[in-house]
Amino acid sequence: MSQTTQLLFKNRVPGKTVFFKDFCANGGYQGLKTAIQTMSPLEIRDLVKAAALRGRGGAGFPTGVKWGFFPADKPGIKYLVCNCDEMEPGTYKDGVLLGADPHQLVEGMILSAFALQTQVGYIFIRYAYEKQAENLRRAIAEATQAGYLGKNILGSGFDFELHVHGSAGRYILGEETALLNGLEGIRPNPRLKPPFPAVRGLFGQPTTVNNVETIANIPHIVTGGAQWFKDLALTPDGSGTKLFGLSGHLNRTECFELPVGISLREVIETYGQGMWKNKQFKACLPGGASTPFLTREHLDVALDFASLEKIGSRFGTAGVTAFDDDTCMVAVTLNLIRFFARESCGWCTPCRDGLTMVRWILEMLESGQGTPEHLEMLKDQLKNISGKSFCALAEGAMGPVAGLLTHFEQEIVDHIKGGRCPFSK
Amino acid sequence: MTTIESQTTSHLLDQHILADFIQHAGEIEHPREMIIDVLRAIQLHHGWVPDDGVELTAAILGLTPVEVEEIATFYDKIFRRPVGRFVIHLCDSVCCWTRGADEIAAHLQKTLNIEFGQTTADGLFTLLPSCCLGCCGIAPAVMIKQQFYGPLTPEKVDELIATLRQEGSA
Amino acid sequence: MLTLTIDNQTISIPAGKTILEAAEALGIMVPHFCYHKELGAVGSCRMCAVTVHTGPMPGVKMACLIAVEDGMVVTTGDETVATFRERVGEWLMLNHPHDCPVCDEGGECQLQEMTISSGHGIRRYQGGKGTYTNQDLGPFIAQEMNRCIQCYRCARTYKDYCGGRDFGVMGSRNRVFFGRFKDGMLESDFSGNLVDLCPTGVFTDRTFRFKSRAWDLEQADSVCPQCGVGCATIPGGRLRELQRVRSGDNPLVNTTFICDRGRFGSGYANHPERPRQARQEDQVVSVPAALTALETQIRATVKQHGPEAVLLVGSDRASLETNWLLQRTAKHFGCRVPVLNAHRQRHQTAQMAAFDLSERLASLQDIRSSDLVLVCGVDPLAEAPLLALALRQAVRKGGRVVLYDPRPVELPCDADRVAVSPLALQELLADGGVEGRHLRDLLSQAKNPMIVAGADLLGLAGLQNIQKWAEKTSNKERPCLVYPVLAGPNSFGTALLSLPEQDDLLTRLASGKVKMLVCVDADPLLEAPEGERFAAALTRLEQLVVLDYLPTSLSRHANLFIPTCPPVEDSGTFINNEGRLRRFQRVLKPGLSLARTAPGEHPPREFSLDTPGSDPQPAVLLLQRLIGQEQPLTEVHRQLVLEQPRLAALVSLKAGEAGVRVAPAVARPHSLDPLPEQPAQTLELVVTPARYGGDLFSRYAPKLEPRKRPPCFYLHPDELQAHGLKDGDAAVVETDFGSFTLPVRSQPDMALGCVLVENSEAFPQLIPGAGLGYCVISAGGANE
Ligand SMILES: Cc1cc2nc3c(=O)[nH]c(=O)nc-3n(C[C@H](O)[C@H](O)[C@H](O)COP(=O)(O)O)c2cc1C
Ligand code: SF4
Ligand code: SF4
Ligand code: SF4
Ligand code: FES
Ligand code: FES
Repeated sequence: MSQTTQLLFKNRVPGKTVFFKDFCANGGYQGLKTAIQTMSPLEIRDLVKAAALRGRGGAGFPTGVKWGFFPADKPGIKYLVCNCDEMEPGTYKDGVLLGADPHQLVEGMILSAFALQTQVGYIFIRYAYEKQAENLRRAIAEATQAGYLGKNILGSGFDFELHVHGSAGRYILGEETALLNGLEGIRPNPRLKPPFPAVRGLFGQPTTVNNVETIANIPHIVTGGAQWFKDLALTPDGSGTKLFGLSGHLNRTECFELPVGISLREVIETYGQGMWKNKQFKACLPGGASTPFLTREHLDVALDFASLEKIGSRFGTAGVTAFDDDTCMVAVTLNLIRFFARESCGWCTPCRDGLTMVRWILEMLESGQGTPEHLEMLKDQLKNISGKSFCALAEGAMGPVAGLLTHFEQEIVDHIKGGRCPFSK
Repeated sequence: MTTIESQTTSHLLDQHILADFIQHAGEIEHPREMIIDVLRAIQLHHGWVPDDGVELTAAILGLTPVEVEEIATFYDKIFRRPVGRFVIHLCDSVCCWTRGADEIAAHLQKTLNIEFGQTTADGLFTLLPSCCLGCCGIAPAVMIKQQFYGPLTPEKVDELIATLRQEGSA
Repeated sequence: MLTLTIDNQTISIPAGKTILEAAEALGIMVPHFCYHKELGAVGSCRMCAVTVHTGPMPGVKMACLIAVEDGMVVTTGDETVATFRERVGEWLMLNHPHDCPVCDEGGECQLQEMTISSGHGIRRYQGGKGTYTNQDLGPFIAQEMNRCIQCYRCARTYKDYCGGRDFGVMGSRNRVFFGRFKDGMLESDFSGNLVDLCPTGVFTDRTFRFKSRAWDLEQADSVCPQCGVGCATIPGGRLRELQRVRSGDNPLVNTTFICDRGRFGSGYANHPERPRQARQEDQVVSVPAALTALETQIRATVKQHGPEAVLLVGSDRASLETNWLLQRTAKHFGCRVPVLNAHRQRHQTAQMAAFDLSERLASLQDIRSSDLVLVCGVDPLAEAPLLALALRQAVRKGGRVVLYDPRPVELPCDADRVAVSPLALQELLADGGVEGRHLRDLLSQAKNPMIVAGADLLGLAGLQNIQKWAEKTSNKERPCLVYPVLAGPNSFGTALLSLPEQDDLLTRLASGKVKMLVCVDADPLLEAPEGERFAAALTRLEQLVVLDYLPTSLSRHANLFIPTCPPVEDSGTFINNEGRLRRFQRVLKPGLSLARTAPGEHPPREFSLDTPGSDPQPAVLLLQRLIGQEQPLTEVHRQLVLEQPRLAALVSLKAGEAGVRVAPAVARPHSLDPLPEQPAQTLELVVTPARYGGDLFSRYAPKLEPRKRPPCFYLHPDELQAHGLKDGDAAVVETDFGSFTLPVRSQPDMALGCVLVENSEAFPQLIPGAGLGYCVISAGGANE
């Protein structure tokens, strides 16, 4: 296993949480100090743009571009919201990061808030991450004590207060506008866009929502520089490192910080230490439950946003879930669709009812009661749900269905022909 | 709208916490943002959120009960029906499924002699399916009182249940 | 204007419109569910998909969400979107029970229409369906959640548009539920709109359940008679029973909403005690015989005692045509001019509206888009319910409502409320010092200022000051408009017809010259103050003649009674608060309902050539016959316009249309009298109409019973304490109109120094709008 540059995990000691003293001892809050004392907010925003950092929450939108839309100079209250909902199956990297080193995020939040000139920040954290929430509350208290949070931070005249807001379950809260509704205490259906949060966000004020990992990267970009950050990636299109959460049929299901652009093979073989129980790799979800499957033919693909889009999949959150060759891909897809259908917020028809229909079709197929009409129906549902739902949840739900139909249609046909699942014992 | 004075609240919330909530709600611009905080606090104290818990939340925040209910019923980790002392959230999402969650599910149901959604007769355990818990690396996993347990095997489940039983009878 | 092409047709349309609206303007119907023109677009149903072929991001788009752009090319029927909409239809039907044959919505179901227009026909999904437990939402609204297609319109109607806070959306995914926290009667005064706005059979009119199929109903465009707003309604009846009222659509007035009083308050038409036969003394007579007797008596009386001896009385609930024919009748028989409104003060304030404010009248549409509305002396939910909704829309768009009133006025929106006594309010309007100046500054600085003025509470003097305020705060760019809140559906019209110098009823009666009183659709006992003086005057009459359709006590006491028809059985015109001529059309013919009242009970069974109970005739027709000039309404209108050129629009007015404003008149000069002193040791007396039972119609509407409140005196808690009273005590209140005993209730939101009492059928003795009044309160009387 080659040693890769560790930014976010540089302080990580498995089983322990790093707090203020150790964090500072290893260079913590240096980025914040440098930035606040030597850079203007605009310079930081430009630096992030130059570093080509792309959002780590799944959509991969360039952070610098998003920040460029933000009316940082507009007077009045503005918000920075950190998205730690992290409920997409196969994604657990933010939880690991906050379990290990909560100050990474706190420093990033303060720095980002300065760059965006927001006075109030919220970290929206899922119900299950209560331990991480506690870590954050302690880190915030420590940072406040040290004068990094609160009024007139480091004598700069800049004020920032930071709150932790615990959720109570439901995947849709990860969608940024639903999250804002959740924070406000109204029903967390996604909002109509436009207006985008940068214009009308939390409580109607300009707001930026970013993922935990995205924000935690900001201090490292400030200390290391844009070019250095870009060069951390192995592909020219990529930039920085990425937290890869491994799961499924692998020997080692842990979270690693690896360079963007690393090959799938290296992830599976080197970091995942090969397939569990000595079986063969069949397929994987490359970046969470909503990303179309990769198969054996993709093992040498570089894992970054551009390369995966090129082959019809997505980098997503880089939560890699591997499946061995004894796995029924219809069953995998059914499991995923059950998740999405159950987590639908109930707002729009293609998701609320369309996913129910898809689930039923997959149940028919998986249970051996499927007919060729069901296969046709599945294709038809894919065509009609994709791109037509209100938010990206149903869109994402169709990712695995698309992957199933592209790479494993024969498996569906086998189910229909055999009148049973060929993988069932 | 019900008022706090008209309600008995001690079974729902610790009175200091109640006082804090009332004070905080009076200080902030949008008390609504506290709905989940208050509901979670009631649940922590009472085990689940009964109707008068919704009404109390509404009264603290200056809302109507249905305005709280709209939120309470959206989230799956707020219980609007009685649950046992230990709610076992068994992950049924894809990573846990690959690592044998079905087997754990069957084992849990057999051991506890209940189905998903039910509570054991002694009121100790409620078994609920959950979407991905965010600990896919230790699949298959359960969450109990916001703590993760995994990777689970039937043997480890037995140990866990035994420990919890002991804790429950203490 | 932007020009775009939809399905190869070109249209020019103002910017800001959506593709859906542009298509509609071209006559292309894009199926849609969640979009509603008053609720707006939210993009949830995805039914309205169309293909946009131009722009940076072409593809499938929701027509309700996308604003038109110049040069845009759109197709609505291409394969992609047609299939998609068919799928949406299929998805929406996954859980839907196929109970159309027994569904209460059948025949007017948007889901049926849209499913068919989506192209979906055959069920493929064979999986499980969700089912729900329904709630009991009270006597007005039935819920059948299994029929829900989650368009969220109900919540947007009830919560967002109407401001109700006891209804919401619960649950998530394909298990969302729309209802209350617990079973119970919906609290909003606009709850009935759920029926009109829900496109499926989830929310239906419970009072109409199992009565008729929509296609069997006789329906016509009408106007609600239950307040001065004049909402468009579509009453429906069958078997001679008025079975339901739903909202019409008048974009300038009520849009597509009406209040529960108007919707569920129509029971008067079929009231079991409604007088349906003519009577002379205690004998039933035929209507022609009664008319002949009336004619003979009028002629004889005029001949014997002169023109003063016969006095005709109209009312603000009688149509414009009826009131005008009364004037004709008086002329015909050589009597003095009729009194068109027995309530002198109300008549005067209505004349202020009809003449002096007529150049600057605001419509409800104006109010909905105002940035500042000063509401003076109005309790909208009681006096003009739809005004409350209009104020809410103004606030939702960022406008501000400032309200001065002695009552604990509830509004379905935020408002800056100041509780002031009526006298203090008069003083504020008369001069107002710093506060008055501040308010006028606010009005002057606003972009679109409006004043809503309660005629009953402000009286003539108050309205005159309002007129001045409006003049002063208008400028070259924009006027400051006034919305007067008058008492009856035709207060404005009645006022416009009559001459300003007319004597009032009591003065004329007091002269002793009146021998015969003919009240047409009027009951001065219930509709005018000083009931006791009026009752005393009645005993001095030789003949009391009443033509009415309500079972009032006056109609029972008449020497001669002739039954008339309520607006649903008549065609005619009202002029509403904003001076808008509104035509209503006959929905039903009069007759005893065939409806069975209990299982096994027979409908009325009489063998006669005529329909049982069909004697009542519209007052207009009766008066025409009386003077021997039967003419169609069109001719009446032609002649009316000759006399009243301001009503020129009458001739081409049609039912179901938004209606036309009367032409403005020149304001008359006024002299303002100084305000009277408040007698020592008194409290101000505030009489307000009850929300339900305040208007005469809803007193005879049994369906509204659950919303009615027992009468009591409301006082501010400090005032109660000062008088040694506590909540629930019985108290005696001595007024100029008599002394009354009722329980007292503490009401912290009302003004100090006042006693508030609601006028309703349970307490009809005090009538609103009688001017500043004072009273003395003391403990006593038996506690009820
Ligand atoms: C259904 C759904 C769930 C999402 N869940 C998350 C999440 O848990 N965490 C996250 O950061 N972003 C999530 N997102 C993406 C967010 O909407 C948003 O794009 C992201 O927080 C932006 O941050 P980034 O640009 O830093 O990635 C989700 C999106 C959708 C549609
Ligand atoms: S796709 Fe529609 S129903 Fe699904 S989560 Fe998004 S808005 Fe809700
Ligand atoms: S109840 Fe009616 S209005 Fe409400 S969501 Fe369902 S179908 Fe739509
Ligand atoms: S607001 Fe007035 S006119 Fe409109 S429905 Fe209600 S009572 Fe009738
Ligand atoms: S899939 Fe079970 S914890 Fe993520
Ligand atoms: S009508 Fe356009 S999405 Fe529902």
